[in-house]
Amino acid sequence: MQRRHRRAHAAIWTLLAIVLPVALAVIFLSYPRLSRDAPAIRLDEPGKTAAGQS
Amino acid sequence: MSVSYQPVIWNRTKIIYDAVLIVAIVAYVLIFLKLGPMLSPAMAETNPPILRMRAFGSLALILLTVVLAIGPLARLDVRFMPLLYNRRHFGVMTAIVAATHAWYVLAWYFAFSPTPQLLALFTSNTSFAQVSGFPFELFGVFALTILAVLAATSHDFWLSFLSPAIWKAIHMSVYAAYAAVVLHVALGALADGRNAALGVFLFASLGTLCALHLIAGRRERAADKAGSPEVDRTGWIDIGDVSEIAENRAIIGAAPGGERIAVFRSKGKLSAISNVCSHQNGPVGEGKVVLGLVTCPWHGYQYRLEDGCSPPPFKERIRKYRVALSGTRVLVDPEPLPLGTRLEPLAIPEDTLAAPAAPSGG
Repeated sequence: MQRRHRRAHAAIWTLLAIVLPVALAVIFLSYPRLSRDAPAIRLDEPGKTAAGQS
Repeated sequence: MSVSYQPVIWNRTKIIYDAVLIVAIVAYVLIFLKLGPMLSPAMAETNPPILRMRAFGSLALILLTVVLAIGPLARLDVRFMPLLYNRRHFGVMTAIVAATHAWYVLAWYFAFSPTPQLLALFTSNTSFAQVSGFPFELFGVFALTILAVLAATSHDFWLSFLSPAIWKAIHMSVYAAYAAVVLHVALGALADGRNAALGVFLFASLGTLCALHLIAGRRERAADKAGSPEVDRTGWIDIGDVSEIAENRAIIGAAPGGERIAVFRSKGKLSAISNVCSHQNGPVGEGKVVLGLVTCPWHGYQYRLEDGCSPPPFKERIRKYRVALSGTRVLVDPEPLPLGTRLEPLAIPEDTLAAPAAPSGG
């Protein structure tokens, strides 16, 4: 591999190793959560929408 | 290597490679669809079309993870080198599996859409202002588009037409596709919080790939930084000791700030050539001399020792360098000779061959 490709690889993976975990943390923290006093039996199962089906 | 266009130049290794890959893909899908519902009540309750799209979606993530791990694994351990040989077919299979996942999604969620399916896909979710519920489908479309382009250009015709540097730059967009897939899965399939296995795999995939690429990159950077010491003001560099070079193999040095140079030893003679294969920039110096020709370990491209040219009718060429011996030390002029320059390999004197090995300095 050429030297400039090696440098590009290193830069890209350094960026991904920083950005993707942060993005995942933000996404998981943003998931809607039921309040503590929400009823146990629910008609609107959280996440069972088009977004959660594929 | 090919002098004329052929869709695929099949050989026994490629057939075995592809057969193993197809068997593994079929086995995964069958296990997911048949065994999954027996083991998991949640999967048993899921509609078969949704199960099928999940099978191909999760498989695409697994295949993409494996195909991206092959490169650094081969750099870290040569035992993984055979996986690199037919990696392009691996990538094409990944694109096909991802496209199958997309086809199932369109056929299930947008089958009765009053607007065209693709239009419905792009317009059904416009929650751009929020993270949770963001139209994750767009990340999937972005990744699939990249994979499709890479699959379509995964042929030596495009490599030759575009030049290796541009072709490699285009194919590095697979990393953007991977990032999009990670976001697609996190915002989509994991949003309901019920797919722990997929969540664990996603984190494992990301952690493993980042670690492998960063470790391999660090090792390469250290090798580049070290370079090979200059012997005097002439600028020639000391690559190592002649006794370090096994028959039909090479040692690799690097000019400060320059590309790597491989010095091969074959039939009692030394030849210095560029370590960068003209095909896909593979590490020629990690290959060996087969039937008098230097053979790249990645895809088997071959070059003559005396001029760095592929044997007729092939036209690939790599640069040659001047090589000399100072005692048992191998010295190389880091200024490359013009492509195609003929330079007879340097004969190793009998007394040098018989001399004890010197401490390694290269």
